[in-house]
Amino acid sequence: MIYDLIIIGGGPAGITAGIYAMRQRLNALLITKNFGGQINKKAVAIGNYPGFDKISGAELIKKFKNHLKKTGIKIEKSKVNKVEKDGDVFLIFIEGGQSFKSKAVIIASGSDPRPLEVAGEKEFLGKGVSYCPLCDGPLFKNKNVAIIGSGNSAFETAIFLSNIVNKIYILECGPQVKTFIDNQEIIKKTNKAKVIVNAALKEIQGDNFVKSIIYQDKETAKEKILKVDGVFVEIGYLPATYFVKDLVDFSERDEILTDPNNSQTRTLGLFAAGDVNVGKYKQIITACAEGATAALSAFEYLKKQK
Amino acid sequence: MKNTVKVFSSPFCVYCSVLKQFLTEHNIGFEEFDVSQDAKARDEMIEKSKQMAIPVVEINGEIIIGFDKNKIVELLGMKE
Repeated sequence: MIYDLIIIGGGPAGITAGIYAMRQRLNALLITKNFGGQINKKAVAIGNYPGFDKISGAELIKKFKNHLKKTGIKIEKSKVNKVEKDGDVFLIFIEGGQSFKSKAVIIASGSDPRPLEVAGEKEFLGKGVSYCPLCDGPLFKNKNVAIIGSGNSAFETAIFLSNIVNKIYILECGPQVKTFIDNQEIIKKTNKAKVIVNAALKEIQGDNFVKSIIYQDKETAKEKILKVDGVFVEIGYLPATYFVKDLVDFSERDEILTDPNNSQTRTLGLFAAGDVNVGKYKQIITACAEGATAALSAFEYLKKQK
Repeated sequence: MKNTVKVFSSPFCVYCSVLKQFLTEHNIGFEEFDVSQDAKARDEMIEKSKQMAIPVVEINGEIIIGFDKNKIVELLGMKE
């Protein structure tokens, strides 16, 4: 059987694409290992999705998932290993070797935390170094921690941890923090966080667990040491694109290049939506919008193919 | 033999939920410790696992870090 459309990913972009595809009566399949994507790691409540002035990540995912399931879309709970194109047909290979065919594909596979690539990071992963504050944060009760990065995820991590830990250092390697202003105001009120700009992390040190970090003060070029038990990595994300390397072009940040009008990649019939593409703002609502655009564009594409 | 299964988790951790759901679906009874509230359990878990990460599962005294389905299946002698 050849599906009209296969959607890869179960975050906001993939789920919205699925809902739109089913409303256009497409024969669609959605492949994902888990639902929710990065919303699963949301450390604070979501307050910028219209209709919900405050909702937890888990609750919003549940609502998204229930909505998607009501459309009757077919769902395959698996991981995609490779996407190929043979003539006008896409072949999608999943874990275990099984494959599916479709006329169009939407990549909505999101992204994974970007690693620091400094000495000690791999060695102390799970021993103080964490990419999931929501999971591991409670283990750092009354301890001192560092957050690397100063974007929205970094500050949301700080807000979440401020109820748990003793002291927070937020390290930004540039001259100023990147988060929205409201997050900065909340953090200031906690009296627990110290923001250090122009700080380039050099090394994570410890014995069985993390004990300290070394960073270079870029203004003075001097190396400084901070005694911390935890290091939370929040320096952005790496788009999950390993399965589609040959069919798309990439930005310098490894995001898939798409036409903003229709989410089309360089391969006809192959679309990319959400955090995986080059779109500037990585928000739940922009991911949803791109999922809708990609599904409607795929519908147009399929109409022309007939 | 009856298995002794302990789960160290916290309410917000997604993989903890996935793990607990897996055990429940397979009718495996387990004792749950919320390390975000229970300081004694937190210390015990860190000491035993040498990890500052959850979930951690203890099956008959053996420690498994993360949701390692294959290892859980093996230690419990489950048929999938």
